[in-house]
Parts: sequence; structure tokens; C-alpha cells
Amino acid sequence: MTQPVEKILVAFKSVPDPYEAAAPGDSGSTAKSVINPFDEIAIEEALRIRERGETSEIVGVTIGPSSIDEQVRAAMAMGVDRAIRIDDARLLDPYAVARILRGVIEKEAPQLVLMGKQAVDDDSNQVGQMLAGLLGWPQATFVSKIELLDNRTRARCTRETDAGLEVIDVNLPAIITADLRLNEPRYVSLPGLIKARKKPIDVQTCQQLGVIVEPLTRLSSTARPARRSAGTRVESVAELVIKLKEEAKVL
Amino acid sequence: MDFSWSDQQRELLDAVSRFGREQLTYEVIENDRNAVFNHDAWKKCGEFGIQGLLVPTEYGGLGQDPLTTVAALERLGYACKDNGLLFSINAHMWTAVIPLVFNGTEAQKRKFLPGLCDGTLIGGNAMSEPNSGSDAFALATTATRAGDKYILNGSKIFCTNGPIADMLVVFANVDKSRGQDGITAFLVEKGAPGFDPSHKIEKMGVRTSPMAEVFFENCEVPAENLLGKEGGGAFLFTRSMTWERGCILASAVGSMQRLLEKCIRYANERKQGGQSIGKYQLVASKIVDMKLRVESARHILYHYGWVAGHRKAVYLEAAMTKLHLADAWVKCAEDAIQIHGGYGYMTEYEVERELRDAIGAKLYSGTSEIQRNIIASLIGL
Ligand SMILES: Cc1cc2nc3c(=O)[nH]c(=O)nc-3n(C[C@H](O)[C@H](O)[C@H](O)COP(=O)(O)OP(=O)(O)OC[C@H]3O[C@@H](n4cnc5c(N)ncnc54)[C@H](O)[C@@H]3O)c2cc1C
Repeated sequence: MTQPVEKILVAFKSVPDPYEAAAPGDSGSTAKSVINPFDEIAIEEALRIRERGETSEIVGVTIGPSSIDEQVRAAMAMGVDRAIRIDDARLLDPYAVARILRGVIEKEAPQLVLMGKQAVDDDSNQVGQMLAGLLGWPQATFVSKIELLDNRTRARCTRETDAGLEVIDVNLPAIITADLRLNEPRYVSLPGLIKARKKPIDVQTCQQLGVIVEPLTRLSSTARPARRSAGTRVESVAELVIKLKEEAKVL
Repeated sequence: MDFSWSDQQRELLDAVSRFGREQLTYEVIENDRNAVFNHDAWKKCGEFGIQGLLVPTEYGGLGQDPLTTVAALERLGYACKDNGLLFSINAHMWTAVIPLVFNGTEAQKRKFLPGLCDGTLIGGNAMSEPNSGSDAFALATTATRAGDKYILNGSKIFCTNGPIADMLVVFANVDKSRGQDGITAFLVEKGAPGFDPSHKIEKMGVRTSPMAEVFFENCEVPAENLLGKEGGGAFLFTRSMTWERGCILASAVGSMQRLLEKCIRYANERKQGGQSIGKYQLVASKIVDMKLRVESARHILYHYGWVAGHRKAVYLEAAMTKLHLADAWVKCAEDAIQIHGGYGYMTEYEVERELRDAIGAKLYSGTSEIQRNIIASLIGL
């Protein structure tokens, strides 16, 4: 049954700051964290939808320990009306995340769920799809444009695919995942940040949600990729062509 | 003394770094050449919260303490190469916003501060005159009371933000016979009859910060725009200058850090005589001195910030901070050119501009000689 959008739920993840790239194996504790850039785009889109008067509420949700509260506040500083943090410090795989999010969605009953197409730390690109499957909702992934139609009961989404820009309509409620070109997120202003300190964070547990999840995958190790060996210098274009043909065999 | 950041300070400072990195890294060479002010960047800084860092929240500011404020400005100076924009912001904060916060009436604060904080209004001050610079209180501009107005006559020079300002804090004498006790501050608004701030002045550095010579010809200022008391101008000016001396070069510390990192990169990349120039002791030792200068500059700045948040009289700390930071910035920029060789002298490498931008620091808010005079008198000489 379609319902006009009244509430948008945006899921976001805290990831290591890509600008302060820590190499695998470095102790992660000192590295700064930020909202996953694609999730930030999803938050921005929700804010724009609200600014157009097409939703009345935006709820942010994330999963992690209290050390990610800074990212929760950043989401509220951007303009999310309220934020839920599911308190779980485990390393969760996409299926576990999708099942926890389903629990939150069943409780919150939003008409639209937005999130980034993937997190820049593990690059899984699965949560949105799995969540749509679990809920039996339509999904639009890799979206670069969203328009709400038919009195906000349908979303026209432009998807970036290998074949080009694909336009699909999904009935709401639906899951939409954001691609890079959907928008350019606003920055968190200092007044916003200071106001966000006063907004409470709604901390819940999986138990309270009635969701029991055990990750199906386990991280066994991470290692630095092998260093690229130094290149060789060529004296002339002719030599380069010969080497490309005979050594690299790419021509 | 404690410079360790609380979680809230760190969060705020990180947000400033990120804002600077994402919003203020535009190209500056052309703007510098053509002396163009970046209005858009000004507006963004206002919306982000920079101009209102120190202003109480009830007037649209963030109510931060001086230490957090200087550290935030340092982060901004590190991210943003447009020293002229930062100079304009500083002039606005220390010479217009601060006098309003401390001496404005409730009505004046409500009228001006929210706009001065959020980037919609630009402020500045007009003290220096053709014949009174270091000896600022010898000013010749007069103000005469006429009913519910004051009439100002005279001219001011080197007025930062003059051509773009919505309001200026102008110093004039209401009674020359009283000397310095006749000096009075007024809020002069853009468009006031007889007020002409349109004569732009070209300068060596911070060229993206507009400057004007300002004329007052029977300029009418409503009596409610008197700032502070008649005769209270000298004290008001000294207070505003003390804040300015302590804080105005906070962004320069960020700029020095940026120069230091640029020099380290260059010294590692540039090879002469079969090795990186950084391997030559003479080059390395210049960079080591630069590092020491940046660290000592940061420490004296934070020390000022901390003291300013904990006690009232900070004249000595403010003068020492201004003196030390100005010297350190100029020397850093000069050495950075030397390390970059001929490239450092060329516009494209964006080192020579830093030197041009830095040199003014030895002049404004009291020359380095004047800072030495102040320090000498405060330590019993
Ligand atoms: C970039 C820039 C921005 C500025 N912005 C503003 C502004 O917004 N508003 C404003 O009102 N003014 C502004 N000024 C003016 C600035 O405050 C003056 O230039 C400064 O106070 C010095 O005055 P002067 O230029 O008249 O030099 P002078 O006072 O004539 O000094 C000339 C030289 O004599 C030395 N000297 C003078 N008196 C003494 C003394 N007693 N003991 C030892 N040496 C002395 C000085 O140190 C200097 O070396 C700005 C200046 C610059 C460079």
C-alpha cells in the first residue's frame, strides 16, 4: 500500500576520515572518524526534500558504540530532526546491519529510507539491497536524482548505470541509495554543531528492538597491499612502444 | 595553564578545519593581482560561524572563549590561502564586533551584532589619519553635537574594509581642548550623508582585503549611534586594540604551518647536486628554525588566548603576541622563498604572496616599534 512521505529515515555509518587515511595495520584508535561521505549525501537529500516541504520529519539512524556520537551530532548539526544510535560495538556484516535496520524501520515506520550506496571503509554495497529484500520494498540504487510524484507516493529516481542514466519509478515506501552526483552536502555550521549538543541521542539496543543478529561473516585479517615496484625509465617513444608490446603485452 | 582540548573544543576545531578545507581552498592568484575581495567566501564564513565566535549567543554568536577562538582562526589560516579575506575578517571582529560587544547599548547590539555575526554585515574601524598613525590619539577629525545628531568632519586613512563596510567604528574628537579625553567613537553607517568611503587604496599585500581613504564632510550621525560615552573613545580603542593584538595573527600561525609543510615537501622533492636540497645542512637548518618559530608562535598565541580567558589585564601578553607573531610570519615567508629558490620568487608558486601578505603585520594594530614601547613600559623601563 502506498503512503505519502511524512517521515524519512536516513541510515548512516561512521567511517575513518578518508582525508586522514590511516594505513591498514595502523592502530585505528587515533584516526578521526566522519560520516560516510555517501551517507552524508543521503542526509543532504533528505534535508532538501524537507526544505521543499515534502516531508515533515527526518530521523537518522546509525549503529555503533558511543565513540561515534560525534558523527551522530554531526548528522543532527546538518539538520536531522532526531537521531537513533543502536548501541552495538561489534563488527557487523551487511546482512546483520540490514536486519538491525529492519527492526528500526518496523518501529519508526518511515515512508522513505535513504542511505549511501556503500560505505567507503568496507565498500560492501549491500545493505540497501538486502534491506529492501528483507522488507519486501522496492529499491532504487546508485541514484543521482530523486523526484517525489503523485502526492509523494512515488519516487522517480535516476540511476547511474553502465548503460547510462536509467530512470525508474518506485512506489513508496522504498529504499533509495545515494550516488556521488545526487547532491553536494552542506557543511556543518558551528551554530548547528552547538545546537546539536543540546539534542538528545536516542540510544537503543538490539535487544530492545527485538533483533538478534550474529554476523555471518568474520574478518580474519587486514594487510597492507604489496608495494608497487618502481617503474623504469624509457629513452624514447619508440622504446616505450616496444616495451608496451613486448613486455607489458598491452598493445 | 591547560591547552588540552575538551571534546567539545576538538569537535568545533575539527569542524573548522573541515569547513576551511572544503569551502575555502579557492585560487587566490588572480584575486590578489586584481585586488578582488571574495564576498562569497565572507558570507560562507559568516554562515559557518567564524565572525561570531566570541559574540554572546543572545546576539547571534557562539559565545566561545578566547583560546578556542584563536585556535579556530589558526585552523582557518591553515586551510585558506586567502590571507586578505582572513585579514578582513579579523579587522571586522576586533575593531567593529568587539567594541559593540563591550560598549554597545542593548539597542545597538540588537541592531548590528546578528548581521555582523552571520556574514550579512561587514564592519571595520577608522582611526588612523594622514597626520596621526602611531600617535593615534592626536587625531584631527571632529564631531560636534547638533540636536539629535553629531556632525563629523575630517578624513581617515588605511581603513580596512572601508569600501565594502556596512558600518565603521569612527573615532573623532568632540572637544579638542580636552585632548585625548575628547576622543569619542561613533557607529557610522553606509550611506550616511557626508560619508564617503569610496576612495580605494592599492597596497603591497593582503590585496584581496579592500582598503579606503574615508572622508567626512559634515557627515551626519544620529546621536543613538554614539558608541560608549563622549570622551570614552580612547579607552574603547585601547580595549579593541588589545583584543586585536592578541588575536589578529592567529590565522598567521596557520599560514606559517602551511608554509613549513610546503617547504618540507619542496626540500624533499627538489634535487640539486645529486641529492634532495633538504639534505644540505644549511637548508635543513632553515627549516628547523622555521619549525621552532611556528611552535613558539603557536605557544605564545595559545598562552595569550588562555590568559585572556582568565584575567582582565592582558596588555603585555597581547603586545608580545603581536610582536612575536609578526616577526615570525615575515621570517617564515622570507625563508620559504629562499628554500624555493627562484621558484619561490615567482607568483605561480604562491610563496612570494605570503611574504607580501605577512609584512603588513609589522605595521597594523600598532607597529612593531610601538609594541616594543608598550612591552618596555610594562616591564618597568
Ligand atoms: C594593512 C594595513 C591595514 C590597516 N588597517 C587600518 C584600519 O582598518 N584602521 C585604521 O585606523 N588604521 C589601519 N591601518 C593603519 C595602521 O594602524 C598604521 O599604519 C600604524 O598605526 C602606523 O601609523 P603610520 O602608518 O602613520 O606610521 P607612523 O606612525 O608615521 O610611523 C612611521 C615609523 O615611525 C615609527 N614610530 C612612530 N612613532 C614611534 C614611537 N613613538 N617610537 C618608536 N617608533 C615610532 C613607526 O614604528 C614606523 O616605523 C592599517 C595599516 C596597514 C598597513
